[in-house]
Amino acid sequence: MYWLPRDQVRALVNRLAESYAVYGPRRDEVSGEVVFDRLEELERLDLQAAIPYNPPKHALLPQYEEILKYLYSKQSQKVTIEKISKVEPKALVGLRACDLNGILCLDRFFLGQEFVDEIYLEHRKKLFIISNTCVRPFPQCFCVCTDSGPAAGEGFDLDLTCAGQGYLVLVGSKKGQRLVEELGLREAGSEAQNLREKIVAESVSSFDNFALENKAWVSRATNRLTTGFIKPEVWEYIGNQCFECGACSFVCPTCSCFNVEDVNRVDGPTDRVRTWDSCSFEGYTKMAGDHNPRKPVEDRRNKRFFCKLSYSQSKKYLRPGCVGCGRCARVCPGDIGLPNVVTYIRREITGE
Amino acid sequence: MSYYRGICNFCGTGCGHLLQVEGNRVRGVYPLPGHPLSRGRLCVRGWHIHELLQTEERITSPLIREGNSFRPVSFDEAVDFTASRLKTFSGREVAFLGSPRASNEENYLFGKFARAVMKSNNLSLTSDAGLEESSRVLLEGCGLPAMTGSLSALRQADFILVVGGDLTKQNPIIASEIHFARRSGTFVATISPRKTQMARLSQKHLRPNPGTIWLLLEALARALRTEGLVRGDDLEERVENARQYLEYLDSLDLKQASESTGVEEQEIISLARKFYESESAFAFYPVGIQSLDRRSMSALLNLFLLAGKLDRPAGGMCPVTGISNLLGSLDMGVSPAFLPGYFPVEAEESWRRFEELWQVGLNRTPGKSAAACLQEDRSIKALLVVDHDEEIIRHVNRIKELEFVVYFGAYQNAFASLATVIFPRLNYVEGDGTYTNSERRVQLSQKKVEPPAGIKPMWEILSRLASALGQPWPYKSAEEIMTEISRVVPQYSGLSHEKLRASLGLRWPVDDRHPGGTEFPLAEETGRGFKFVFDGAADRRQSLRSGKEGVFPFKLVVGRSNYFWHQNSVMKRTFIPRREYNALLLLYPNGFVEVSEEDARALGLREKQPVRIVSEAAEIRLATRISPDILPGMLYIPYFIEEMISGFLHRQVSELEKNEEFFLPVRLEKVE
Amino acid sequence: MDNQLVPIVTVPEVATVVDIREEIADVRTFYFTFDRPEIERAFRIRSGQFIMCTVFGAGEFAVSLPFSPENDRKHISVRKVGKVTAALHELQPGDKIGIRGPFGNGFPFEEIKGKNVIYVAGGIGLIPLRSSIVHVLQHRPDFGRMILVYGARSSRDLMYKDSIREWQATRDFETHFTIDRPEPGWTGQVGFVNQLVAGLNLPAENTVAFVCGPPVMFNAVIKELKLKGIKEQDIYSTLERHMKCGIGKCQHCAIGRTLVCVDGPVYTYRQIKTLGEQI
Ligand SMILES: Cc1cc2nc3c(=O)[nH]c(=O)nc-3n(C[C@H](O)[C@H](O)[C@H](O)COP(=O)(O)OP(=O)(O)OC[C@H]3O[C@@H](n4cnc5c(N)ncnc54)[C@H](O)[C@@H]3O)c2cc1C
Ligand code: SF4
Ligand code: SF4
Ligand code: SF4
Ligand code: SF4
Ligand code: FES
Repeated sequence: MYWLPRDQVRALVNRLAESYAVYGPRRDEVSGEVVFDRLEELERLDLQAAIPYNPPKHALLPQYEEILKYLYSKQSQKVTIEKISKVEPKALVGLRACDLNGILCLDRFFLGQEFVDEIYLEHRKKLFIISNTCVRPFPQCFCVCTDSGPAAGEGFDLDLTCAGQGYLVLVGSKKGQRLVEELGLREAGSEAQNLREKIVAESVSSFDNFALENKAWVSRATNRLTTGFIKPEVWEYIGNQCFECGACSFVCPTCSCFNVEDVNRVDGPTDRVRTWDSCSFEGYTKMAGDHNPRKPVEDRRNKRFFCKLSYSQSKKYLRPGCVGCGRCARVCPGDIGLPNVVTYIRREITGE
Repeated sequence: MSYYRGICNFCGTGCGHLLQVEGNRVRGVYPLPGHPLSRGRLCVRGWHIHELLQTEERITSPLIREGNSFRPVSFDEAVDFTASRLKTFSGREVAFLGSPRASNEENYLFGKFARAVMKSNNLSLTSDAGLEESSRVLLEGCGLPAMTGSLSALRQADFILVVGGDLTKQNPIIASEIHFARRSGTFVATISPRKTQMARLSQKHLRPNPGTIWLLLEALARALRTEGLVRGDDLEERVENARQYLEYLDSLDLKQASESTGVEEQEIISLARKFYESESAFAFYPVGIQSLDRRSMSALLNLFLLAGKLDRPAGGMCPVTGISNLLGSLDMGVSPAFLPGYFPVEAEESWRRFEELWQVGLNRTPGKSAAACLQEDRSIKALLVVDHDEEIIRHVNRIKELEFVVYFGAYQNAFASLATVIFPRLNYVEGDGTYTNSERRVQLSQKKVEPPAGIKPMWEILSRLASALGQPWPYKSAEEIMTEISRVVPQYSGLSHEKLRASLGLRWPVDDRHPGGTEFPLAEETGRGFKFVFDGAADRRQSLRSGKEGVFPFKLVVGRSNYFWHQNSVMKRTFIPRREYNALLLLYPNGFVEVSEEDARALGLREKQPVRIVSEAAEIRLATRISPDILPGMLYIPYFIEEMISGFLHRQVSELEKNEEFFLPVRLEKVE
Repeated sequence: MDNQLVPIVTVPEVATVVDIREEIADVRTFYFTFDRPEIERAFRIRSGQFIMCTVFGAGEFAVSLPFSPENDRKHISVRKVGKVTAALHELQPGDKIGIRGPFGNGFPFEEIKGKNVIYVAGGIGLIPLRSSIVHVLQHRPDFGRMILVYGARSSRDLMYKDSIREWQATRDFETHFTIDRPEPGWTGQVGFVNQLVAGLNLPAENTVAFVCGPPVMFNAVIKELKLKGIKEQDIYSTLERHMKCGIGKCQHCAIGRTLVCVDGPVYTYRQIKTLGEQI
């Protein structure tokens, strides 16, 4: 482990900025909220800021992305197709552990199944990741229930844990090691490992009671979801409150569903565009000619929570699909984010 | 940085968002968590505004008609040509159609151009007469022409009454705020014939027969009396015309009202009690195409006045606008009824005030709405239109006969093809502008991307035209126009772009006494005169029936659809909202009419069976959709099927507008 | 199989429409060849797979491969239902399309050798079954009885009339046709396919069934097959779902815990029952 004095954070980021576009949390001056954003002004990086309102997903799976460009001339019967690959290398600095786990889920889903998603891979292979331990949890968080925080375990190039006047730095890759050496960081000493463990343990113990209590319930809910032992009335209750806005999927660090459209540009060529999509929409499963296998909104809610918590889906991510970031609860117009759904399932089990 | 603060430009909720800008393009959108009203939520439309902002189907150059096609021309040529033609018309020969999607600055200047330069008072917004009606009722009844309540205080409310429409579809984030209030203990009641999602999310749903909402509201007021909750003498101190109103009210027979509305007397009484006992109560109603009629709005206002709910600090009347800057456009006086700041056109002082402020002589002859001009007035020869949704084109043939049509628009649409001259407009992220949401919150939307070369801001186009017509206008930016607005519109007197840049919107009145805006204007102003609004025609209660029940036994109600409503030209440029709309259309490619289960059974209708809906003026063929949400005797068509809008509804728009109850008597015929 | 092509995953391969045939109302068959000879040579499929077909300027859609993996002209048969399929129907011979795939699991072939095979199709449900029928016919001696039961609304709605004529001429291939209502000149049966299936004399043992058609027909046929004692795991069908990628990433085609584009589109009835959604 290494030691990064606080005043050297700038040096580290400057160094990264030489070869990467730097992304990190910054605060919006007027609303005071934290956004995970591309930072041209590196001084905006705020490692003390709360968990950003948006996950880093957009850096790997943009909300709107051209994936192909083609031009077909009927006259000459010529087609040119070009894969768009102007993907720039990015450094994601200050990722919270839940969000890092989110990326690992996406990795396993996009890269680890039958097919490799080449477009995701383009983004992914050029990433440099620095995670940041949550020395205290934020009100919305329940990563302790989903085994995804408050500290990162794997997947980073470097990992920071704030300790007094600087950061303990864990190295997770050769790239990370090289950077540490280039910056000339000193070893953190023999006590560092213990210190990090102590900080993390303190953080865990200061989680909201809700999160701590719910730990067992998340896994029981998982069980129920997998076996399908949840009464239809529970889904109906949840479905009735859904405004079908798609937000829960868009803000979820592990939701990856997309739509594809071919958009004709005025100057001739066509872009194949992929955009975020959500299983909460009716048209998501609707087929031409009148058939929708998944019709009532309850079904669609059921689908999302199945996707986030069931064992069968977890097999694809090698962990539960929910990383406990709490975002879906904050953005939901119907107040049916994942923690509430766990509560409803819990009520059903206990008959409260 | 790639995420920039902004506001959603679709509906009158005015949610805060972050737009992701890369290069010169908007690539994404994300909710703004700190926004005082939306608090980090967006609806399906708001979540896809970037798809719209990506579209390349823009108008990029001024165009002049030549025969059946358009010739791209320079900005100068377009200005000179337009000015030379406009010179030939007198004020009363020209009509102006403003856009509720345009900013306050644009609307203000458009109105000033009409009145001060062209000397025309034929000035209105597209179709939404409902807001104007609501403003008149509120102005008369409590002196404030807009929402008296606050949207950020709902979670502390005791009682919320939602009347008509389906807020979950029209203004989803306001509906969400009500839902959160309910979850934290507020009692929410909905009054609507349809079992909307809003109704499902309420503790209480009263379903009056179509066309009887106003009667149910009067019955609620009457119940306060029969239950002995409101005494006359108290009331006379609080409200100007209390005695006359009570007389009118007390002539209502509760039992009979219960019968006409189809709502049980006991239900009426218990809801009235619940309402009366609440500390703070809010009423929500839509203004716009599915607007409440004047009579229902007044009945609602009277109910609140009667129970003394309007002078409490928390609570109030909340008209909800369907389009982003609908309220702002009216604030700016884009209306035949009001000059900017709600100065009534009937008052001589209003005109003197504006002649002084604008330093020009004005034409005091009252004007009409653009629609009324086209419909009734053969002397209209020219029309100036800002960004009009093509589906609302009425009077197409009349417009084709006009000598001169100027269209200011960002996107190509059917309206543009009717024009003589087209000026390209910026879209709302290409320039600065303020927008005023339903709760009087004025918000600044700052420029985020450079417009395509050659597109000028509206203020520049109008200034050049004004100069060419002999009134040199000095404006150099939208900011300067706001400075002028602050001098002209008292409610905006404390506003400036500078101040707005550092805020997430301020609710008018913003003035010396309320530099930070006003949450509950009625509570803070003392000595405001309250007045019941009613026409005293108690006998009208008897004439509830259309008299044509024999021939047209069904009541047809028209509603909005979440994804499409009446913004086809906007929505069709997105992917997901368009798909969701198509999803329904795939099932019902030629549109559908919802029929109650009972009626379907009685008439032997199957799901998807083709039927003909026949009204006095027109008919349309649709597929049957059997719905548990519909009351027997009622039919429902969502307002998003193009053919229906152009072919069916528009032929009876005048009736719809006259028909205060907003339903259409129709008959349903089976097509085999 | 050597030099088997890995599926075309991201960038469509350009192909030329060489021939177009009108099948039934709103359904046309498009014959195509790949423009790059090496792809044309190496493109291999399994019966029951599908491709993602790009109509340039309009979009991409999923479509079954009705041709046999061996010795058959490459083609797709498409019903005009929406934006992209309508654009496809506008094409003329010589026009270009784009192709990704083949995707999906496909029908069993080696596993069912030696068994009796019954195909039951309704309407355009014959499209995805055609490949397997031709393939099995090409290996006729390896299989037991072969039966095709095919029904449509009217004689004008029967797909692949030429192929059917050939099949009828084949020895050892029983065919049964039915239309919903009687028509002058029709010599086949009248009624629904399930009634035909009910009338068949089928050995329950050693028989596999392939069923494809609209949901109502599907359910009725399954019922009959089960009455005949055919096991749920021996009844195969292909499912259709909204699809956007074909490679298991967009998740539009998710059904139960599977993705139709990679785990399907071929499922046994036993699997379908556990998926927990409508067909
Ligand atoms: C495995 C598989 C095999 C198929 N085989 C055939 C075939 O051989 N012949 C044939 O005519 N049709 C077939 N289809 C159906 C065909 O894919 C749809 O009819 C087609 O996608 C409709 O596209 P559209 O753009 O014309 O319709 P629109 O209604 O405009 O649909 C828009 C988009 O929705 C999606 N979509 C809508 N309906 C379907 C659907 N049924 N299946 C998949 N995606 C859909 C597509 O992404 C489509 O581009 C098959 C579908 C699947 C999944
Ligand atoms: S389901 Fe909700 S809490 Fe879980 S990871 Fe997704 S957004 Fe976060
Ligand atoms: S929850 Fe829904 S949107 Fe999210 S990944 Fe799963 S299927 Fe897709
Ligand atoms: S965020 Fe809430 S309301 Fe929106 S789709 Fe998800 S569950 Fe439904
Ligand atoms: S509620 Fe209105 S303002 Fe808010 S996101 Fe939806 S459309 Fe936009
Ligand atoms: S089609 Fe995209 S996952 Fe199956």
